[in-house]
Amino acid sequence: MSPSKIPVDMILSKLAEDVEKSQDVIMQSQDVLLGPLETDIATTPYEVVYEEDRVKLKYYAPITETRIKTPLLMVYALINRETMLDLQPGRSVVQNFMNEGVELYMIDWGYPTRKDKFVSIDDHVNGYINNVVDFIRRRHGVDKINLMGICMGGTFSVMYSALHPEKIKNLITTVTPSNFDTDKGLLHVWMKGVDVDRMVGTWGNMPGDLMNFGFLLLNPARLMIDKYIGFFENMNNKVFVENFIRMEKWIFDSPDIPGETFRQFITDCYQKNLLIQGKMELNGKRIDLKKVTMPLMNIYGRYDHLVPPEACDRLTKSVGSKDTEDICLDTGHIGIYVSSKTQKELTPRIFDWLEKRDKDEEKRRVVKPPAKKKKAAKSERQPKASARTGSSVDKKKRANVGGQKA
Amino acid sequence: MSPKDNGWDPNSLLNAWIEAGTNYWLTAANNWTAMPNMAEGFTGIFGMPKSQSMDSWLNSAKMWQTMAGGLGAPDMMESLLKGAGATPEITTKMLRVVWGGYFNLYQLWLKKLGKIGETTEAYKFENLDQEVFKNWVELYEKEVQPYFHMPQVGLMRFYQERMNLVMDKFNLYRAAMSEFLHLIYVPLEKSVHVMQEKFDELSKEGRLSENFKDYYNMWIKILEGHYMTLFKSPEYLQTLSRTLSTVAEFKTAQHEMLVDAMKSLPIPTNKDMDDLYKEFYLLKKKVKELEKKLEEKD
Repeated sequence: MSPSKIPVDMILSKLAEDVEKSQDVIMQSQDVLLGPLETDIATTPYEVVYEEDRVKLKYYAPITETRIKTPLLMVYALINRETMLDLQPGRSVVQNFMNEGVELYMIDWGYPTRKDKFVSIDDHVNGYINNVVDFIRRRHGVDKINLMGICMGGTFSVMYSALHPEKIKNLITTVTPSNFDTDKGLLHVWMKGVDVDRMVGTWGNMPGDLMNFGFLLLNPARLMIDKYIGFFENMNNKVFVENFIRMEKWIFDSPDIPGETFRQFITDCYQKNLLIQGKMELNGKRIDLKKVTMPLMNIYGRYDHLVPPEACDRLTKSVGSKDTEDICLDTGHIGIYVSSKTQKELTPRIFDWLEKRDKDEEKRRVVKPPAKKKKAAKSERQPKASARTGSSVDKKKRANVGGQKA
Repeated sequence: MSPKDNGWDPNSLLNAWIEAGTNYWLTAANNWTAMPNMAEGFTGIFGMPKSQSMDSWLNSAKMWQTMAGGLGAPDMMESLLKGAGATPEITTKMLRVVWGGYFNLYQLWLKKLGKIGETTEAYKFENLDQEVFKNWVELYEKEVQPYFHMPQVGLMRFYQERMNLVMDKFNLYRAAMSEFLHLIYVPLEKSVHVMQEKFDELSKEGRLSENFKDYYNMWIKILEGHYMTLFKSPEYLQTLSRTLSTVAEFKTAQHEMLVDAMKSLPIPTNKDMDDLYKEFYLLKKKVKELEKKLEEKD
């Protein structure tokens, strides 16, 4: 063996320096960790305008003149919570939309309990989403609304748009899995071998903590070691700590997934890949993607390890619409919403896309007089509206809040 | 398969084992007495008078020597085995089972010991040393599990059966979980090996960094790569699936036993509640449909 060239003395002296620095960080972190911290998430004020079972509809009023006339409904996934879209001031998708004058509605799926274990995908899509869409149409006196789905919520939005195309004007899907037959993402590989019937039979609902453990296992080196090493190194930085804790709050706020919904999603989507083939059924109704005829904008992340590009990019080729656009951003699954850089690119593109289609429709109206407007609904029920912020309402209170039932 | 089929003579092995045990403990006792200073140190730590601890130690060693020496003598062995032959068949069978189990386990340990020091290849997860876990489960299923599946009799037979099932499922769950945790640990071990190689390389090239963080970054990247390779391997997928199944089976068995315990309490079980929730869910669905139909009529 060649003579050692290891500069042991230099390494040791550097190590001693690092240890000293770490001690300083620990001392300074006392002031930060024991002092007041602003770690609330989802602080943008909203109104709950509709409630059904555990599901609530949040309304965010625009703070500038309405730029896009058609109201927009955001459908989040059943995994984790929609609070991610309003993580903190300055890094909030919700605020960006409000600043651009969008009438924004967002579904809060709540926290499913054991009594929700029989609630199926059909109940979510043809039940809750359909009722919410009808409510917004009635409220604004419009035939169609804009629909934006996020991750699993995007998959539900695609299903909804195929089954109720007459109610959706434009569809935006973000990091939405539609093709599940890929081995690029570990989730797709793992889910193929899961005995979902046994899991649902054992747990009833799929426990959020178990799901979270699975997500951590996707990259233990980064998510269980490196992340906390980074936190340790920056514990004396108040802003860093606040942002870190906000993210931790969001990540580990994981509602359980209703058992029947989980069962069908894994079996029909992950294991049989029925959706993209147009073979999936909800309560006997086939989801024919050719019926997705409205304009479609499909956004996904190049480095998304949960929903890789291969799981997203077949959608635009499978739908019936001729007005489709794929946007692949250089970011990951979460970065698409929380990275300031991506936000600067993403939100203006969505507004421009929606605005252009609003204007195109106006032009068409000028050329051709519009057909007699159909009354959106015969009976308009007054919603129970209560202004509150997300962070000030605890789980129990959320479950007990009464409201309008569909 | 009996030990003899394997080309081993259990009697001679037992004899050798006793002799080895005797020699070991005697040597240990002799060494202990030959190191008065060390012994003093220990007695000082534990606060026991030197003579007392030393005496009890030597007494135990002598007792073992006497017993084991006697057992190890050929005539004694012969009479012992003759006696065993005279006992009812069931006793012999049990002795054989226990000895057979121990023998199999002993072979496994030997194999495992032989593997210590073997280097593992980086980024390769085929043919991992999972045989130990598989053999353990095999041994458990062959030698222990049948006891838990023995038919129960009498008034409490159903309760006893469910309790046995919990114990059985717990053992299988624990075995699967150990295997899973072992797999999760393997990339750590491999990443350390790779780091050693990288150190050597960098050292030879004179490119060693003084910054500890550089090594950490290098290691975390290697570890990440190993995990990615592992998580796609069929070995991992099989283990994951098995672990989830055993967790579910154990949880179900545990729940069934708890239901027994809860019968005497005024608490509804999950099954009771699920039945109720299902009815509630279907009723609600019907009401919503009717409500919609009414709205459309109006």
